[in-house]
This record gives sequence, C-alpha cells and structure tokens, in this order.
Amino acid sequence: MTKNQPPKGYKRSWKNLLINKRYQLRFTLFMVGLSTVLMAGLGWWVMRVANETTTVSMASVRGTPCPKVPAITDIAEEEELPAVPMKLPAEDAPAPTEPAPPAAGSAAGSGEPSPDGEPRRRTTIQMDESSMTMLEPEPKVPEDYGAKVVAHWTCEMNLGGKINRLERGRMLILWVLIGTGLLLIGGLAVYGIKMTHKVAGPLFKVSLYLAKMRDGRFDKVWNLRKGDQLVDFYEHFKTAHAGIVQMEKDDIAKLRAVVAAAEAAGAGEDPKVVEIREIIARKEKAIE
Amino acid sequence: MSDIATTAAPGGGPRPKYKRKLSNYLLDKKLQLRYVLLVTILSGMIAGALGYLIYQQKRAASESIEKDLQALTHADSSQEDFQETVASGLESEDRALVYKMVGVGVGLVVILSLYLLIMTHKVAGPLFKVSMYFDRMAAGRLGVVTPLRQGDMLQDFYINFKDMHDAVRARAIADHETLDKALATLREAKNKADYRGEAQSKLDEALDELEKHLGERKKNLVDFPARPGTSA
Repeated sequence: MTKNQPPKGYKRSWKNLLINKRYQLRFTLFMVGLSTVLMAGLGWWVMRVANETTTVSMASVRGTPCPKVPAITDIAEEEELPAVPMKLPAEDAPAPTEPAPPAAGSAAGSGEPSPDGEPRRRTTIQMDESSMTMLEPEPKVPEDYGAKVVAHWTCEMNLGGKINRLERGRMLILWVLIGTGLLLIGGLAVYGIKMTHKVAGPLFKVSLYLAKMRDGRFDKVWNLRKGDQLVDFYEHFKTAHAGIVQMEKDDIAKLRAVVAAAEAAGAGEDPKVVEIREIIARKEKAIE
Repeated sequence: MSDIATTAAPGGGPRPKYKRKLSNYLLDKKLQLRYVLLVTILSGMIAGALGYLIYQQKRAASESIEKDLQALTHADSSQEDFQETVASGLESEDRALVYKMVGVGVGLVVILSLYLLIMTHKVAGPLFKVSMYFDRMAAGRLGVVTPLRQGDMLQDFYINFKDMHDAVRARAIADHETLDKALATLREAKNKADYRGEAQSKLDEALDELEKHLGERKKNLVDFPARPGTSA
C-alpha cells in the first residue's frame, strides 16, 4: 500500500466468523436447539390438532347428502296404474275367465275390469311382428334422468374435491411447518454465529494485544470495527494499555534523569548505570 | 521472590469465596439484554404463532362439530338443549386450551429469561472482572489476579489476560529489584567516589526522585485489597 492510499475498510470474512468456537457455538446452538425443540413440539401439537380437524371435517363432508340417480324402470305405465293389492281368490268365487283376446295390432291388454270389479292387471310386451316373437322390454328412462345424473356426480365430485382439499390443507400445514422450521434453524444458525462474532471479534483483538503486552510490546491500539460489540470493555482495555505505556514513560524519564546525573558526576560507566541504560532501552523499544 | 510478590492481602488469610448476588446478574445490560431479548422474543413468536395455529385448528374442528350437530338436531326442538350443551362444552374446552397455552408461554418466557440472564452473566462476569483489572492497570496498580469463578465462560480469554498481567507484573517487580539495587549501589559509590559538588547534589536529587518513584511503584505492586462486602 502506498503512503497516500487510504487504508481499506476491514471486511468480515465468512471464514473468520467462528473465532471463539466454544463461546459462539454454545450461544448459537442454545438458540437453534431451543427453536428446534419449540418448533418440533408445537409443530407436533399443531399436526395432531390438524389431523383431528381434518378427520372431523372429512366426516362432515362425507355426511353431506347428494341427489340420487333415479332407477331405470322397464314398465312405463306401471307407475300410472294403481297398485293391485295381493288377494287370494275366495273359495266360492267363480273360476277366472279366460282373458279376452287382444285387439289386432295392439300389444296391450283390453283393460276391462275383472268380474270382482277391480281393474285387470295388464302386462305390456313388445313383439316382433314379422317373427311374432317377444322382444326384450326396452327400459324407460325418465325425462330428467340426465340432469339428475349430472347433479349426483357433480355433488359427488364436489365432495371428493372438498375431501382432497382438506387432505391437501393438512399436508400444506405439515410442509409449511417443516419448511419454516428448517428456514428458522438455518437462519438462526447463521445469525447466531454472526451475532456472537461481534462479541468474539473484539475479544480476539484484545487477546492479540494481550499476547503482545505479555511479550513486552505496547504497540498502538486501533479502534474496533463498525458494528462490533463490547465497546465499553474495549475502552477499559485502551485505558489500561495507555496506563501501562504512561508507566513505562514515567520510568524512562526518571531513569534518564538518574543516568544523566550519574554521567555528569562521572559515574557514567558504573555497571549499575549501564544496567539502567539497558532497562531504558528495553522500555523505549516496548513503547515504540 | 521479593517481598512485593509475597505480600498478602490486607487482613491476611485466603480470599473469601465470592457469592453471586441476584442483583448483580445484569452486569452488562447491553450485551446481556440483547441476547436475552432476542431469544425470548423469538421463542415467544414461535410459541405464539404455533399456538394460534393450534387454537385455529381446534376451533375449526369444534365449529364443524357444532354445525353438523345443528343440522342433525334442526328438525327436533327437544335436542336444542343437548346441542347447546355440546356447543358450550366445546367452546369452554377451546378457551381452556387458550389459557393453558398462554400460561405455558408466559412460563416459558420467564424461565427462559432467567436462564439466559444466568447464561449471559457467565460471559459478562469475566468481562466485568477483567474491566476492573484494566481500570487498576490504568492507575498503575498491578496486584495479583485471582482466578475466575467456577462455571464462568471465556476461560481461555481470561488465561490470556492473566498471563499478560502476570508478565507485566513480573517485569515490574524485576525492574524494581534491579533499580532498588542500583539505587543502593549508586548511593554507596557516590559516598566513596570523589564526585564534583554540583553534580553530586544533582545525582543526590535524581536518586531521591528515583527512590520516591520506586516507593510508589512498590505500593502499586502489592496485592489488591479485599473486595468490600465479601463474606466467608
């Protein structure tokens, strides 16, 4: 770096985020662990209640009645005729007469009343006139049959859709819980390490200065980075550092006065004065 | 070792065991409250959001049951009481669930806050202690550094600090001894040698100053006085 170039601002590197593993991991893992326990415990509770709600709602949906599909009947007129009550013939009643022959070209009975006054039961048949064979009766479909079938299956499909939606809603809750939990844990882990780094960073910096001071070097103390915590603590350290430097300076001043006086008195080469000079040199080097 | 290094604390005997006081737990408000509030608010938010979800689901189930029951008993007026009883029972169950969840949530927040306060105190405590020693160092006092309490965190950092403090103190003691001897030797030499009058008086003056200076240093190198308020 050239002299005129301004010093570059220090950038936090991801590699250096975990400075004090013990402290940082303890606080971060506590935060992450607590959130995991809360999310898992309460999430399990949420799912249990959601399952109950889904089961209740599904039962409610299944219980909703849908319009029925009408049955296809093979005798069209049967409905129009009054029901003939089943009745055993009386013993003294005359033997049933032979049915009257049907009118030519007609497949239906005559419809004349029976001797006991009740309408004669008629049977409708279809015949192939060319071969004179009975045809299978054609089923009679009600007029609104199609509409009723559509209404029935629309209703059934709606109910199926509702059940599917309920099931999907239940699964959505589960996935949202899992997703939120994972995001929260990941986010908290990163945030926790970054947050504790703002405490561990100043401590690391102070530790470096402490190591220098231990070795007898009292270099200039630089300020903390922007956003760092423990600002007050760092100020205490700076004051202590300045105090030690001042002590050394005071010592140097006193010792220089003694050396100067000793030299003036002609005792400059005294071994003790030489020793004092060595102490001065060491102290001066320490505060450079 | 010199007499400085072996000087005991005033009053003699071992340092009494320090007891943690409840009022002293919040040593570094900014540091401690930041973490305590963050974790507590976060836990409160998770518990609140999921608790609301639980209540919402439970209420939806109750409403569904109430609706179905209402549909079933709609035609029969004699079943109205039964329906109302069931509905009020479900509602009171849901309300009880809310109270239970609020109680658990508040308990969680209180217990968590206290635990976090203690946890962060184990970091703030050592920092407070080191700050105290820093203040003493700033005043030139280099007494003996006592170890941290059991369970305190930042032990590594504290060992670094203690090593530094001990090294600075050891150097100061060594310098003091050397200079003390040098002072005595120079005074003796001054009496024996034929120094010039004015220079001799200046040397006398400088040696007196040094002696005074060393006396002050010696006072600052003895052990720190016992902490007021500590009891055995």
